[in-house]
Amino acid sequence: MSTVMKIENIEAKIGEKKILKGLNLELEAGKVHAIMGPNGAGKSTLSKTIVGHYDVEVTGGDITYKGKSIIDMDPEERALEGIFLSFQHPVEIPGVNNAYFLRTALNAKRKHEGKEELNAAEFLRLMKGHLEMLGMKSDMISRSLNEGFSGGEKKRNEILQMLILEPEVIILDEIDSGLDIDALRQVSEGINKMKDGKRTFLVITHYSRILDYIEPDYIHVLKDGEVIKTAGPELVPYLEEHGYDGIKED
Amino acid sequence: MSRQDTMLATVERFKEDFDLFPTANDKLEYIFDLGKRHTTLPDEEKTEETYVVGCASDAWLVGECKDGILLLRGEGTSEMAKGMLTLLLDIFANRPVEEVLNFDPAKLHDMGVVELLSPVRQQSLEAFLKMVYGYAHKCKEQG
Repeated sequence: MSTVMKIENIEAKIGEKKILKGLNLELEAGKVHAIMGPNGAGKSTLSKTIVGHYDVEVTGGDITYKGKSIIDMDPEERALEGIFLSFQHPVEIPGVNNAYFLRTALNAKRKHEGKEELNAAEFLRLMKGHLEMLGMKSDMISRSLNEGFSGGEKKRNEILQMLILEPEVIILDEIDSGLDIDALRQVSEGINKMKDGKRTFLVITHYSRILDYIEPDYIHVLKDGEVIKTAGPELVPYLEEHGYDGIKED
Repeated sequence: MSRQDTMLATVERFKEDFDLFPTANDKLEYIFDLGKRHTTLPDEEKTEETYVVGCASDAWLVGECKDGILLLRGEGTSEMAKGMLTLLLDIFANRPVEEVLNFDPAKLHDMGVVELLSPVRQQSLEAFLKMVYGYAHKCKEQG
């Protein structure tokens, strides 16, 4: 197994509340890992911890990405290295044009990788192709980032960012929440397009519905700040039937 | 931009680029964006002869002829001049002089941006074209 990310004994709190309590998780490169668990288990805190979100204070443990510790890296450094988080609740930023935002992010990454920056026309060509695939209107180009977007539009916009930035580890925090069936299908299509056997996905979800569209390789059950079970996709129907209480710890 | 393209093909390519932008402002900003590729001239080439008379901001254009090819290099000082020079040099520079002389400058309107320029900027464009065709005629005379 080729490990792209290793989370070892991570302990983290938000405010005074200790949420992750010595969590261990290994992500196999090129695989789809689903994180499932009840409300309050620490799923979103885990995703924020990986990307270095300012909400989270890490009090113990380590995270290595491609063999290097990232625990002291700033969020932007982690992003430049190829770690991407699709937010559960994407923020609205009035006055910041969606296309400018995305092009700036992409060009920062390209610069980091020693590639030439894309000019506005080259970028728009790239963006328009993805917009069409995601069923997004072309006015998304000139609208302010997420401002006045519906829930589905915000989630599509997160996937648009993912498609443009082409990250290596992709964390999808409840990407299915607030999506109708058509939006779910389009978002899943965008995600599946990125599956190339090299990129690694961490799909955080309450429900198994999204896993009908994005086939997982591993299911990790998170409970009370720890991964209590790791299994193959056969665990999903069991969870559907018995819930999380029926899970026996590994 | 490949130098294998003809002038008309380059204009068409720019038209396709400009068509991507939804508003006039976006199109003009793309001109500024093109200016990031703008190069400068050494001071000794910025002379009275190379100064673009009639341009809204200081600009210089150097024209040379080599084996029937019109070589052009320029420098602008404002953001708009830098962008426009980059765009126009992509179209006009390093072309066979016959192609330049046979090119109808009205074709530049196909890009859909000339009419977005202020009257002063349109005069700058005219000043640039006058200088380019001056260099082109000289080049042709040299054979």
